[in-house]
Amino acid sequence: MLRRRPGETIAIGGEIEIEVIEISRTRVKLGVRAPRHVTVLRKETLAVAAENRQALELVSSGPAGVAEALRLLGAALE
Amino acid sequence: MTAPMTMTTMATAPTSMTPVICSPWLGDIRVDEDCEIFFPAGLPGFENEHRLLPVEVPAQRPLVYLQSIERERVCFVGLPVYVIHAGFRLEIPEDERALLGLPNDRDPAIGEDLLCVALLMPCGDSVQVNLNAPIVINLHNRRGAQIVSQGAPPATYRLSADSGWTLLC
Repeated sequence: MLRRRPGETIAIGGEIEIEVIEISRTRVKLGVRAPRHVTVLRKETLAVAAENRQALELVSSGPAGVAEALRLLGAALE
Repeated sequence: MTAPMTMTTMATAPTSMTPVICSPWLGDIRVDEDCEIFFPAGLPGFENEHRLLPVEVPAQRPLVYLQSIERERVCFVGLPVYVIHAGFRLEIPEDERALLGLPNDRDPAIGEDLLCVALLMPCGDSVQVNLNAPIVINLHNRRGAQIVSQGAPPATYRLSADSGWTLLC
């Protein structure tokens, strides 16, 4: 565990820096400096990234998937 | 829905003057600059996809395709959130408001200020959506972002022919 104040920084592995920019009553604003190949995400978006890759398959697997979705949608709206 | 944005439709024939995407899934699509959506942060998992084109196929409404302009094989398909859940409410955090160029002093209205689309994911013989992670497009400046709700209860809905959209527990 590390304790930091606004304006202070944590270094990770020599290439990544995390700076505490601002602290409010309920939130902390952080700035991240990292190489371009390092993806910086909020943790909750990791699951969404996997869902987006799954979503891509609906179209890329061919027209049958979209056609079935349309059929279900039509049936549900009836 | 009336919206100050037009979508590319597959009924529009490409002309020689405008760029054309050769989508493996949708065929040739004319890239109209007035239709292009700019995603400053890309999408989670697709952080380098900054330019997406919303495409409607008239026979497939209300589906909305989001075709990458830079990578032809990247194409998503989604539905306006109100088609799935009429009571959908959107909360946009401060950072995403800035990303979308939205004012902080009032809540934008879906349909008038925003297009809000949930991506369809294949799931066995059906499809499902996560309403905690809709694609949100500011219709006034054509900037987009995927807004991921923080700490919200699960909002994954699956479509079935019998019961329509069902919230998964």
